[in-house]
Amino acid sequence: MITDPQGPGRPLVAGPGARDGTGGPPEGWEAPRERWLSTVVRPAFGPRSVLLEVVTRLLIPAILLLSVFLLVSGHNRPGGGFAGGLVASMAYVLRYVAGGRHELLAGLPMRPNGLLAIGMMMGCAAAGLPLLFGRPVFETAKWELTLPVFGEVKVLSALFFEAGVFLIVVGLVLSVVAALGARMEAEEEEARTEREQRAVWLGRRAARARQAPPGPAEGGPR
Amino acid sequence: MNALLAVPFVVPLLGAAITLLLRRTPRSQRIAGAVTLSVVVADAAVLLWRTHDGTILTSQAGDWPAPLGITLVADPMASLLVLVSSAVLLVVLLYAIGQDIGGLSRATPQVFHPIYLVLTAGVSLSFIAGDLFNLFVGFEIMLTASYALITQAPTRARVRASMIYTVVSLTSSILFLTGIALVYALTGTVNMADIAEKLGAAPPELRMVLALLFFVVFGIKAAVVPMHFWLPDSYPVALTRISAIFAALLTKVAVYAIIRTQTLLFLRDDISTVLMVVAIATMVVGILGALAQSDINRIMSFALVSHIGFMIFGLALGTAAGLAGVVVYLVHHIVVQATLFLVNGLIRQYVGHTSLAAIRGLTAVSPALALFFFLPALSLAGLPPMSGFIAKVALFQAAVAVGGPLAWTGLAAGVLTSLLTLIAIFRIWTRAFWGTPRQDMLEARARLRSGSNRGGLRIMTAMTGVMVAVGVAVAVASGPLTAVGFTAAEDLLDGRAYVTAVLGEGAR
Repeated sequence: MITDPQGPGRPLVAGPGARDGTGGPPEGWEAPRERWLSTVVRPAFGPRSVLLEVVTRLLIPAILLLSVFLLVSGHNRPGGGFAGGLVASMAYVLRYVAGGRHELLAGLPMRPNGLLAIGMMMGCAAAGLPLLFGRPVFETAKWELTLPVFGEVKVLSALFFEAGVFLIVVGLVLSVVAALGARMEAEEEEARTEREQRAVWLGRRAARARQAPPGPAEGGPR
Repeated sequence: MNALLAVPFVVPLLGAAITLLLRRTPRSQRIAGAVTLSVVVADAAVLLWRTHDGTILTSQAGDWPAPLGITLVADPMASLLVLVSSAVLLVVLLYAIGQDIGGLSRATPQVFHPIYLVLTAGVSLSFIAGDLFNLFVGFEIMLTASYALITQAPTRARVRASMIYTVVSLTSSILFLTGIALVYALTGTVNMADIAEKLGAAPPELRMVLALLFFVVFGIKAAVVPMHFWLPDSYPVALTRISAIFAALLTKVAVYAIIRTQTLLFLRDDISTVLMVVAIATMVVGILGALAQSDINRIMSFALVSHIGFMIFGLALGTAAGLAGVVVYLVHHIVVQATLFLVNGLIRQYVGHTSLAAIRGLTAVSPALALFFFLPALSLAGLPPMSGFIAKVALFQAAVAVGGPLAWTGLAAGVLTSLLTLIAIFRIWTRAFWGTPRQDMLEARARLRSGSNRGGLRIMTAMTGVMVAVGVAVAVASGPLTAVGFTAAEDLLDGRAYVTAVLGEGAR
């Protein structure tokens, strides 16, 4: 675990969530002592749960591995790019549920739109390449290789199409999460900041009012 | 040959991906969009050139043999429609680009370009799909893109309209899927040529139910009369560039699907009486609705509903002449409807709205605008020598040749509709174009013609002019167009050519 050298045990604030200098967990916060996810910002929908964070941390590699398995095994068994993409996006959804929108952004290599675009390009290229050789669209080429560890491996060009579908599905699910959940959360956060600022301002005004006893000239209602 | 058939939907999808990546550089995004659509137009032109003599080109995706794999089919009708629709899409895209350059639109160009290209892919795929399921996929690509487009620059009215639109379209999609499942249960295939072979052995009652189901499915999308209510509520609200494409293409794709399924899959005479009654109702109810409106966009939307009736009428006649008339009418109507909505967009730029109550003297504001409205509007009403006249005469001649009370009633309804269209158009003309312009309209013109807006407005006007010119060209080229129409109609009526082209000589 990477921790802040100044305060041992205090989680390092990473990712786009680090807005202010005081980014550490508030008093009485049930955050884990160790950092399980990339960010420690409290999501707008409530406190983070230790249990969920730990489980998420443990599950995500397994989920992603399963999604890749589904992607490669999909040619003539259940699975494929669509199923694999859905499973992979579930890993990110789990991460979002556990850590909020900052955690979701921290875990993405690029914006969901970029994933969508690259996936679409891969899919179109894989579908359209046979056309350049005068073959029908979507025709598959097959290569048989002998790799050192895996032994005999059959690679189909359809795999690239499936990988494109995989990326499209991940990009689509994530942009839905970003557009619906994360935006709502951002609005909630804004509202919360406003409330806090208002509370601070009201507190200061009350303090000022206590210090300076009200005179007839100022402070009274106009 | 394989590439010719795949380009109309693969290239726009690729273009969509590229424009999505280029969303930070508007200039290159515009160029990518325009280049993509130009490629599709060029490809469609070659496709039409190869098929105009009645040849049917096919391509089996992935080299899977016909009834199993995905078949792409381009017959004269499909090629013609791909060409016309991609040309209209290109011109409207250039219009939208002009609008964006001038900063005259509230659309989000980053989102608009990719989704517009996805819509193009869906439209093209619907035209060249050789199996029912692929037709469904094409429809869904098109509709999903349209759900996103209709809420561009969201306002309360647009979100409300898009709710109606989405719910109605989804209902139609669910029925479509049910229909495909039923056909599959009955015949064990979704390949249209194969279905055409096998459905002949099915009980006639079942065939009729399926024919009606598919007519309802596409009838909802084509807005034929009892199922038209959603269209005038949703189309006029969207941005101009979007309502122009929706009005010009989306309903016509559905009309194409009606024609394809009713001629190829079902023996036509199963429901031709129903088709005729619906056609007459659509013509009359639609145009009466248009007369009751006081907003140019809404008048045009009701007129759109009304003129769908002409195409169903030609199909219901069931002769080669009738179908040839429908083909000509489709081409004419796609171009004219797009032009009129683009003109409405220009009016919106000058006035800010399209309500007849507060527009006067547009002729004085912009003579070009008046001309651009007048020519396609006359064409819509069917006055000679415009393309609408040629299309309507073709339909009416076919009706006279068929004879019988229903055909004559349809003919009477058609003539009546044309006259009422003329009245609707002259209401717009006398109210909005005559008279002295209001002061605020002149100020708006001065504002538009100065500063940064100027270039954008010029492109928009030029593109509207191009659409008008295309409309005139349709009338000028009516000879070859009618010839292609007849070839297409014969291919449609003689399903054997289609079946042989898809399944090979071995079948029947």
